[in-house]
Amino acid sequence: MNCVDVKSQIVFYVYGEISSDVEERIESHLDECAECQAELARHRVFLQAMEQRDEFSDDVLLAECRADLRNSLGSKVPVEAPAPFSAHWTGWLDSLRRFSGFHIPFRIPVGAMALVLLGWLGARYTPEKFGGVRAGLGEPMFSSVRSVAPEGAGKVQIAVDDVQRRVVVGDLRDQRIQTLLLTAVRDESNPGVRVESLGFLQNSGDSQEVRRALIDAATHDQNAGVRLKAIEGLKQYGGDEAVRKTLANILMQDEDPGIRVRAIDLLTAHHDDSIVGVLQDVVQKDDNNYVRTRCRNLLETMKASVGTY
Amino acid sequence: MHDAAGTVSAILPDVRTEGRDEAGLIRAAQSGDHDAFERLVRAHDRGVLRLAMNFLGSPDEARDVYQEAFLKVYRNLQSFRFDCLFHTWLYRIVTNICLDHLRRRKVRKEESTVVDTEEGQVDRAIQVEERSPAGDPERQMWNRQLSARIGKALDALTPRERTVFELRHYEGLRLRAIGEIIGTSEEAAKNCLFRATQKMRSSLETFV
Repeated sequence: MNCVDVKSQIVFYVYGEISSDVEERIESHLDECAECQAELARHRVFLQAMEQRDEFSDDVLLAECRADLRNSLGSKVPVEAPAPFSAHWTGWLDSLRRFSGFHIPFRIPVGAMALVLLGWLGARYTPEKFGGVRAGLGEPMFSSVRSVAPEGAGKVQIAVDDVQRRVVVGDLRDQRIQTLLLTAVRDESNPGVRVESLGFLQNSGDSQEVRRALIDAATHDQNAGVRLKAIEGLKQYGGDEAVRKTLANILMQDEDPGIRVRAIDLLTAHHDDSIVGVLQDVVQKDDNNYVRTRCRNLLETMKASVGTY
Repeated sequence: MHDAAGTVSAILPDVRTEGRDEAGLIRAAQSGDHDAFERLVRAHDRGVLRLAMNFLGSPDEARDVYQEAFLKVYRNLQSFRFDCLFHTWLYRIVTNICLDHLRRRKVRKEESTVVDTEEGQVDRAIQVEERSPAGDPERQMWNRQLSARIGKALDALTPRERTVFELRHYEGLRLRAIGEIIGTSEEAAKNCLFRATQKMRSSLETFV
């Protein structure tokens, strides 16, 4: 193998993209050829320089991408023809799981509750002649067993709370609809319902109550997805002083860096000198590199000093 | 794991060495199992995002690519017939979307290192400095210039050369896999890599 051959193979040699016999021939040539050794050294310097390009390994951005995708998939799941009962159950669990993160720690208790409920419904639909309790089979009904106690003579007394489902359709600007949505926003049992309700509320027109609900959810909701949705809803009120104060608090206190970044996004849209101190504080104290960088960028855009003196 | 070039090549998902598990995940996802789809996404999405960031240098565009790619996978997973590895199929989708973005950017005649962000236009080269640890200012200046030059040199490659170089150098994929991704032979991918490397070396001559 001569110098020309070796130089044409160096690119592949360093990447390990040549066969072992070619590799051996290159190495035996290199042992004896200073010119090719120098060429190999130059190529390694070039490769080392290529590493100067910034390596992006941004966990916050990745988390945001995952959240975006989860939301998109949630809204893109096709609405199919009426599914069998079992499909409703799995669909419900799927949506709950989507809004609760990828892992659902309470899957087991939920499953157990589902089994209890199924058992109860089975008994409920058992024909009277088998000693079952007859109940109306008309409208869909949510039930929960409040208590179970012996009644003697082989019987049992069960206290059941029945909740009748009612479908309400109305205009988003209708006060009654807004009241229902505001109630749903506070439904601690279902983050999916809270997210959907916040989405509708933010399109329901400006009102102090809606604004308060968004601020409350953005600040206090335990579910990061709900907080994020609420912050998106606050976007339209970015110029409002109370909202900006809320965003500043979120930036200082929210444990989720993705949410802190979203707060920065909204604060960025309305430059306001009163947040300089908060931004400087975050630059000094936030443990997330990307959050700090974003705040630093924002301060520079505002022509404010990055540090506090 | 580092190869002879000193680049990190251990970025391929673990699932690739567990092909049977991944095949099971894909089949489950094809039959509508959301959990399986999410696990499939998580096995590959870090690499997808990094590739998009490397191609485009803009978090916003990388985010769009991520979203577009996985939605495309979601919609077309039924048509995946195991003719190739899943990551090959996925990276084909991702690189095509990245190249579309680059083409659109060229049409808009944007500067390669200047990207749109929510704070307005930002020079990527400046961001490099911001993310670097504090140190010798001269060294930082040098690194910033080098980084900007690398960006310009990469932008000057043809789309195919760019793809091959990104996938081989920064993503650590083997040339055979790259050939499958861009729909060509390993030999053609090899030639492409050679041309790309020569061009890059020539562009960075004053720096290295």
